[in-house]
Amino acid sequence: MSNRQPTINPIPHWSEKHGWRRLGAVTGFIALSFIFAPILWLVVMSVSEDPLSGFPGPFTLTYYGQLLEQTGWVDPLLNSVAIALGVAVVSMIASTLIGRAIPRIRRGQFTLTGVMLLPMMIPGVVIGTALFLYFRVGLDMKLGLWSLFLGHLIWAFPFSFLSVLIVALRFDVRLLDAAADLGSGPLERFWRVELPQLKDGIISGGLFAFLLSFNEIARSIYLRGKTETLPIYLWQQAASHSSHVPLIYPLNVLILIVSSALVALAFWVLFGRTKT
Amino acid sequence: MFRPPTHVAPASYMSFVLIWGLVALLPTAGLLLWSTLTMENFQIVWEPSLQAYRDVLSSGRWQVTIRTLEIAAIVTLIEILLAVPFALWLAKGTKSAGVRTVSLALLTIPFFLSLSSRTIVWRGVLGLNGPINAALLQLGIIQEPLDWLLFSQFSVILGLIGPYFPTMVFPLYLAFMLIDDEVLAASKDLGASPAFTFWNVIVPLGLPGLGAGIVFTFVPMIGDPVVPELLGGGNVVVLSASVQSLLRILNYTVASALSVLMLVILVAMISLVAAITARFAKGGL
Repeated sequence: MSNRQPTINPIPHWSEKHGWRRLGAVTGFIALSFIFAPILWLVVMSVSEDPLSGFPGPFTLTYYGQLLEQTGWVDPLLNSVAIALGVAVVSMIASTLIGRAIPRIRRGQFTLTGVMLLPMMIPGVVIGTALFLYFRVGLDMKLGLWSLFLGHLIWAFPFSFLSVLIVALRFDVRLLDAAADLGSGPLERFWRVELPQLKDGIISGGLFAFLLSFNEIARSIYLRGKTETLPIYLWQQAASHSSHVPLIYPLNVLILIVSSALVALAFWVLFGRTKT
Repeated sequence: MFRPPTHVAPASYMSFVLIWGLVALLPTAGLLLWSTLTMENFQIVWEPSLQAYRDVLSSGRWQVTIRTLEIAAIVTLIEILLAVPFALWLAKGTKSAGVRTVSLALLTIPFFLSLSSRTIVWRGVLGLNGPINAALLQLGIIQEPLDWLLFSQFSVILGLIGPYFPTMVFPLYLAFMLIDDEVLAASKDLGASPAFTFWNVIVPLGLPGLGAGIVFTFVPMIGDPVVPELLGGGNVVVLSASVQSLLRILNYTVASALSVLMLVILVAMISLVAAITARFAKGGL
């Protein structure tokens, strides 16, 4: 990185001399075990005879088979995918519009950014209650897919906005002057100069918005009306003591496999191809 | 009229800002209004009063707020103790890009799995007949199964540690990454011990990351209904469950008052965190 000439006694990396490294690796390992032990346990128990018992084995694929017969999870899954896709698309468009504008407006940059990021500071239960009272009690509207979409958008948008803002702040607007000098119009400038520069932030913002919406539950319980999303369905199944509880184990394993594949694909599209 | 190429049309973004105000900000501000109205026979009466706030105090529902804050504070503290060394190690300790990439990927994966299914597995593990009790009994450490392992504040805290770890690590990692290696080398050359460097160089420079980590971890945890219900089993009532039960019995004003109360506490807390960050980031500890 630096342009200095190599010195006779190169400065050793500060961390080489002491035990910080070991401490960091250990705490990281502990915390990651707290995250992944339950996930691995879920996978093991999904092929066990009695998933709720706490002891693995004897192994069976019964519950995967039962998923095909008891299809109560299909509608919630479709609802969740539809809402998450909507939230992702709207978040991407809105964060592009506002994210590209913020670095270039003269007054109110901070206010505008603050107003957009505000919902990050509000817990789900508060915003859920607020939207419920506003739309259901105040405006007497019937809650459903649209209110779930709105609640998720308010939760997810600030994150995708931040993602776009970070790349937008690095964008050199003089490129637009240069493009104009070379004779391109406003649309071409946006499409061929600006958008390619903002693309990574927009796509990762959309991906993040999709995931936040897909797993959202804290706001959904207030805004769902009679609609079920997948996290709500899974939660209800988990909280109930019905015989269907074991089914959420294989269902989650399948979701994990599919979403990991999708994310790997997204990462490859984002970062993998451009490198070569 | 001439428009420079860098000009953005205000209409392009102000329209969304307007919508945002109507669907996100106005409802939140509306909570303040709801909480100062009166309820009579399950109907809202447009008559200002502080009855809802008096009810929060007299019904003991304020204890729910305290309990929610207490659990979130304990877990946030645990996350700080786990995340600071880990983030520092990721940013400055390991020189292997592979370790770094894999660690960051491992921190991202949990976002894809629903919280309830990751939480439900603790029930089997911590339960009276679960492997932990079985092992302790087998070893003769205890004579009877421990009943406080599950459906207690302990199990709720244990269950929250995993899901809320990544949100603490990411901001800290970014903040530590931004610290120049040369600064650390300079501190060492001037004779500072590693501990001195940590407290006087790394901590002040990392404070913005710590502040962001606290906000991103603490705030969502306040609103989380899943872990307390699945692992608290009705013994650990938090804000979300309390508000939900209030809405179910159509007690809208007290539900709003509880929400407003929590919001006020959070605003005070976040301002404090921001003020401390701003102050110490300049002057050092």
